[in-house]
Amino acid sequence: MRRRHLEILQWAGLFVGAATFAAAHVLGYGTVLATCNPGNAQFGIDHHVWEGALLSSSAVVVLLAEAASVAVLLATRDTSYEAEPPLSRIRFFAITAATANILFLGIVLLDLFGSLFNVPCRQA
Amino acid sequence: MAVVAPPASPAAERLGRLERMWQPRPGILGWITTTDHKRIGLLYFWTTLVFFGAGGVEALIMRTQLAEPNSHLVGPATYDELFSMHGITMIFLFIIPMTTGAFGNYLIPLMIGARDMAFPRVNALSYWIFVSSGIFMYVALFLGVAPNAGWYNYVPLSGAQFDPGRNIDVYTLGIIFNSIASTLTAGLFIVTILKSRAPGMSLNRMPLFCYAMLAAAIGLLFALPALTVDTIFLFLDRNIGTHFFDYAHGGSPLLWQTLFWFFGHPEVYILIVPAFGIATSIIPAFTQRRLVAYPLVGIAELLVVVIGFGVWAHHMYATGLPTVALIFFAGATAMVVIPSTIQVFAWLMSLVTGTPRFRTPLLFIAGFIFMFVTGGLSGIMFVAIPFDQAVTHTYFIIAHFHYIIFGAAVFPIFGGMYYWFPKITGRMYFERPGQISFWVLFVGTNLLFFPMHILGLLGMTRREYTYPASLGWGPYNLAETVGGYITLVGILLLFGNLVVSYFRGERAPIDPWHGPTLEWTTSSPPPEYNYAVIPKVTSAYPNWDVADRQEDRRKLAEGVLVLEQGHEQVEVTPADGFLSDVVTMPHSSPWPPLLAFCLALVFLMLVVGKYGVAGIMGILCLLVLFGWHSTEPEEA
Amino acid sequence: MTAAALPRRPSIPAAWWGMGILIASESVLFGCMISTYFYFRFRSPVWPQGGVSPPELVAPIVTAACLATTSVPMQLAAFAARAGRLAATRLYVVAALVVQCGYLAYELRDYNNQLDKTDITRNAYTSIYYTLLGADHGHVLLGVLFNIWLLWKLSRGLNRYRSNATLAIAWYWHFANAATLAVVGTILSARV
Repeated sequence: MRRRHLEILQWAGLFVGAATFAAAHVLGYGTVLATCNPGNAQFGIDHHVWEGALLSSSAVVVLLAEAASVAVLLATRDTSYEAEPPLSRIRFFAITAATANILFLGIVLLDLFGSLFNVPCRQA
Repeated sequence: MAVVAPPASPAAERLGRLERMWQPRPGILGWITTTDHKRIGLLYFWTTLVFFGAGGVEALIMRTQLAEPNSHLVGPATYDELFSMHGITMIFLFIIPMTTGAFGNYLIPLMIGARDMAFPRVNALSYWIFVSSGIFMYVALFLGVAPNAGWYNYVPLSGAQFDPGRNIDVYTLGIIFNSIASTLTAGLFIVTILKSRAPGMSLNRMPLFCYAMLAAAIGLLFALPALTVDTIFLFLDRNIGTHFFDYAHGGSPLLWQTLFWFFGHPEVYILIVPAFGIATSIIPAFTQRRLVAYPLVGIAELLVVVIGFGVWAHHMYATGLPTVALIFFAGATAMVVIPSTIQVFAWLMSLVTGTPRFRTPLLFIAGFIFMFVTGGLSGIMFVAIPFDQAVTHTYFIIAHFHYIIFGAAVFPIFGGMYYWFPKITGRMYFERPGQISFWVLFVGTNLLFFPMHILGLLGMTRREYTYPASLGWGPYNLAETVGGYITLVGILLLFGNLVVSYFRGERAPIDPWHGPTLEWTTSSPPPEYNYAVIPKVTSAYPNWDVADRQEDRRKLAEGVLVLEQGHEQVEVTPADGFLSDVVTMPHSSPWPPLLAFCLALVFLMLVVGKYGVAGIMGILCLLVLFGWHSTEPEEA
Repeated sequence: MTAAALPRRPSIPAAWWGMGILIASESVLFGCMISTYFYFRFRSPVWPQGGVSPPELVAPIVTAACLATTSVPMQLAAFAARAGRLAATRLYVVAALVVQCGYLAYELRDYNNQLDKTDITRNAYTSIYYTLLGADHGHVLLGVLFNIWLLWKLSRGLNRYRSNATLAIAWYWHFANAATLAVVGTILSARV
């Protein structure tokens, strides 16, 4: 794989997963606030539909980010993260992103199941 | 590297030029106008210790009040101020400035092979603003108008109706004032870590301490604006008559909590992440092996903060929000444990597979791991919404966060003081008293904080100034108070040891521990310019790379990267550390303390309600900023 | 080998990163205020609250668009400064500044007029409306002050410091313009 492609995949793997988690989290919470408050009478947002769409698409994006990181890991398997940069740095961030994206995926999936399998708007 | 060169050699000439170029201004004026990261780090160190003492006194008064039932040592109004100031002081005026301002400032440039931070005058400004904000709060305490609604200051208790005095205006303005200092420090750390590293130090070769500081800085940068917005809203509600938090006019009291905890939870991770960095510095030195799973520990430090941004409403489980809202935070809270656990396993495996020498610094780290895991276990319990709803606002949560804060932030700070004492002072500390101080502290803090778990489960809520005897809480409270005084003894032993060592300790070598990072390659204490040659870096443990250190000595003789023609340092590419530029740094400057003083006047005018005068003081600040930027680094 | 002879790779200067830090921090500030706006909106059966009339549509869009176009001359100024073209740099900054000052003067007058009609202390809607808008105007004012300072610096010629400053201030304006568009979009959402 060309250096330029490796760079793009490495940075995408590192930042896209985190950004998606952040966006899904904020928008997911925001959707609940929107649907479970009086203002929703005007908009009629359906909680399960919106949360399901938001969180499942987020899960897909995080998976893609993970795939990017794993692709870079495979492409740099002849390098060590302790060697000369930039390849070592690329591998280093692929290792870290591959780990991080698993956690982000876990959070998004927990959010997805929690949203779908709870009664919307019932007080905790 | 250690500055040794044959007399009258080219190397000696270069060293002489460097020494003259970086000569600090003498006397008090030299300290006031300093931009040297080491001096600023030391200023932060001593100032935060004063606030630590103040916060500790507040704690001991509370503990003495609570030692027995129906005590009247202090009344409820005073008790309110005590717990509020204790929390504010320990968090905003001790831990954050100690870990970032003192340790971070002193050590980051040394560890990355730089001569100073990227923006030295901004560094000085952050110190002077920090100390001004602390004085601002404490003058209010002595005038009897200290904040009194807790460190998180919920509305409507802190609104104009129920807290009509100046106390909460001191809180809102003092917090905003203090957060300017932290924001400046955070931004400075990020730019320095990305741009000022020694050539060759790509991000995969950076010390884990710097990853920890980077994580804390990113956290501070993105969390503090939420607190600023929140406190601005409260200030406006209280003084202008807006209705952000007023339900009757379409506002919401929960908005305060939402914005506050969006800041507040990352804040508590920011408290402990630099301490993780201290631990990851001490363990390799005292096990003489590289840290296990370096990439995972590096990303774990960043992940703790990043995921930590997504857990804020776990402080709001008992506010009546819907389950489907709280789910998001339960999920993130469950997962945020994992990066911390990765680090704990890495530390433990490093200890087990290395050759541990349990000198005082490592003892404190061992104590830290024990207390962090204990506090972490109670923390995991809070993931479960029903459990949290039962114990929220009881002593159970106080137990949890004190195990974390004292155990996971303060213990590493103490360990770090011992570890870097030889480097900073040029003297060795006395080992036996050091070990004794650890054990006294360990016993004291566990006796102080463990019974709080039980008290919380028995129903003792936080912030109560006294309690009746019939509830049976007396013995636990008494034990805690005894633990508090034992902790005091431990602290006095620790600082007594360090003070005596400063005057009587034997001279420290350059590298007493055979530590892994660059600060152990330069003299103790380091010269003003840190390194005669910008060091060559080819791994994350540069002091163990003998060939690179020999190359540095050759470079001094040949004049490569000595940069002695001015106050110069390098800039590199952020990811890979390739040399990109040589830049001139400002030396000492009067503008930072001047700007901090003018800013203090702004906040003083705001708190007494003179908004017009505050505006004029603001214009004065702009003029000072103008003056600051009137000279350019190349001209200086 | 002197430092000048060492091989160097091009990289964005630290000054840009410093401005990036400021932009990041202020973006979160605006994000919190915009979130507060929508938080109130969804909690209210009627929006705007208390019978307050929603903001007018055309004038805010036109003025915000005018302001946003100043990103173009500011960025051109940054390119010109990098290329060492002093006169062009000054011209672009002046052109941007004229529009920015015009925007600010108009908006401050309009803000005052609105306050005369509907006070900030009416309800939560007016509280967040005026605070959000005021914060935006404050950031535009700061940008105007940056540009005035920059012109003063450029009156003495170009060097690397001033070229970096032009770049950093251009990026500040990209942020301020984006924030203005976001704020205007937020307050106009009341008409939906």
